[in-house]
Amino acid sequence: MPYEFDEILETIRMTEVEHFDIRTVTLGISLRDCHDRNIEVTKQKIYDKIMKYGKNHVKYAREIEAKYGISIANKRISITPVSIPFDPFHAEEFIEIAKILDKAAEEIGIDYLAGYSALVQKGMTNGERELIQSIPYALASTKRVCSSVNIASTKAGINMDAILMMAEAIKKTAELTKDRDSIGCAKLVVFANAVEDNPFVAGAFHGISEPEVTLNVGISGPGVVLDAIKEAGYCNTQGLAEVIKKTIFKITRAGELIGRKVAEKHGVPFGIVDVSLAPTPAEGDSIADILMAMGLEDVGGPGTTAALAMLNDSVKKAGLMASGVVGGMSGAFIPVSEDMGMIRAVENGNLTIEKLEAMTAVCSVGLDMIAVPGDTTASTIAGIIADEAAIGVINDKTTAVRIIPAYGKKEGESVDYGGLLGKAPIMSVKRISCEKFIGRGGRIPAPMRSLTN
Amino acid sequence: MKLTEDEIRKITLSAIEELGDKATPDNVKSIVKKAVESFDSSPSDIKMNESSGRAILTSFGLNKPGIVASITKAISQCQCDIYDLSQKIMGDFFTMIMVVDLTNSPSDLKTVQEELAKVAEELKIKIYLQHEDVFRFMHRI
Repeated sequence: MPYEFDEILETIRMTEVEHFDIRTVTLGISLRDCHDRNIEVTKQKIYDKIMKYGKNHVKYAREIEAKYGISIANKRISITPVSIPFDPFHAEEFIEIAKILDKAAEEIGIDYLAGYSALVQKGMTNGERELIQSIPYALASTKRVCSSVNIASTKAGINMDAILMMAEAIKKTAELTKDRDSIGCAKLVVFANAVEDNPFVAGAFHGISEPEVTLNVGISGPGVVLDAIKEAGYCNTQGLAEVIKKTIFKITRAGELIGRKVAEKHGVPFGIVDVSLAPTPAEGDSIADILMAMGLEDVGGPGTTAALAMLNDSVKKAGLMASGVVGGMSGAFIPVSEDMGMIRAVENGNLTIEKLEAMTAVCSVGLDMIAVPGDTTASTIAGIIADEAAIGVINDKTTAVRIIPAYGKKEGESVDYGGLLGKAPIMSVKRISCEKFIGRGGRIPAPMRSLTN
Repeated sequence: MKLTEDEIRKITLSAIEELGDKATPDNVKSIVKKAVESFDSSPSDIKMNESSGRAILTSFGLNKPGIVASITKAISQCQCDIYDLSQKIMGDFFTMIMVVDLTNSPSDLKTVQEELAKVAEELKIKIYLQHEDVFRFMHRI
């Protein structure tokens, strides 16, 4: 037999028992040729372009799923940051664009389309300002559109004016979607050092150096890693790193195969594999559970950052060996509401925002899907974003904030979206004001890259 | 094997390039037609270039008489070739792994999967049929 009995059973176990799936195949489509002075013509162009490339996206992904027996959890689309091709428009017109994007996504049969975005780390054009102002209304009047704004980078520094604007946009979004637990905020990400080829919604967009159309794939599989660690039993940390690497290697290989095959079906170039451990609210599909299997009593206690750092690094190393085209975020995600173990740790009072912030310094992304009391002020939210951006900018990594100031809710309550977005207990935030610091505005200069102590 | 529009366009462009000044609509058309026909007449070659036409069948469930017979019958009806087979009884459980060659079968993987799903339901066992590539990618460098 060309394969050992054990090898075959391992694959079957991964795909059938341990929830190994491809988290997302994301079709990136450039909209840079869709601008017209007339908004109606623009809308038609956008719709036609997305339908042209995307209409078979779901069908093709399903065919590949059946062929290889590996499920693809999400089929999604990312587009050029909307503020770039449509810079001359005003807020009302941007909202119209969001609605046509929503319609295209619905037509194709996907749950999210991302790229209602702007890149303002250094400064803002008039169009970008209009787009940011339109975000709350766009998110409140659509179901499938996701938005992200990059407000800082290692090369440009941290745009404090943009941070304050985004904090206000987040508050407004929470208010406008209050009847659905402020769900709009779950579709809005504030980035530092955003990557151009990220396939993971809500932060995905089709970067300006990307080709006309491309297909990126995001792998997943915390359940597989968890079982491998449990099976390994007691070994030292080097041994543990080895176990994680071997497992990630295999799932990355499968991820690349699936991505390439879907791209081939579309007849579009294959972009990157994002080797990330992304949790889902399903039992066993949790990053927190992995950290606990590594030997922690609960997430949030001492040792958490070190365990997460090792997990994240092992994921990257194995991914790079397994695939020639690793990109995107590539690391472990720690969205609180989407991870049963994280939710439990917050509810037990073991995991706080401050510890989560430390964890984001060593893993992928940042403060993700965190619910805070509805009366948290815009300047406090801006302070949280600025802290997270500083970690990203100084450490030359991507960080992000997806925070939900749950309108009308207090600490101890929770917001529940069901499905992939899960349930977020509302966490406590320190009530010490940073209003005067944030109110200064301007831009924190880009950091130096030597004397890194 | 059907060529996609894009592939046909590529063939056309390279034909025009090779013909250079001599390219006329008529002779380009005839060359492209010939090229497409030659592709159509040798389907197995193209399949081999893409990836193997083999799939791995895994089945398990409570043991009972006639499982192997039912599965192999379904496979032979789809005109698939059994390449390798390994079967074990563990306690009350039946497990079987097969390498099946679909290259000369008129039905595609999906059709065979559907046929096997019927068998699985009848016998109350699990049957998975996955393309070989996923095993090759995961376990062979």
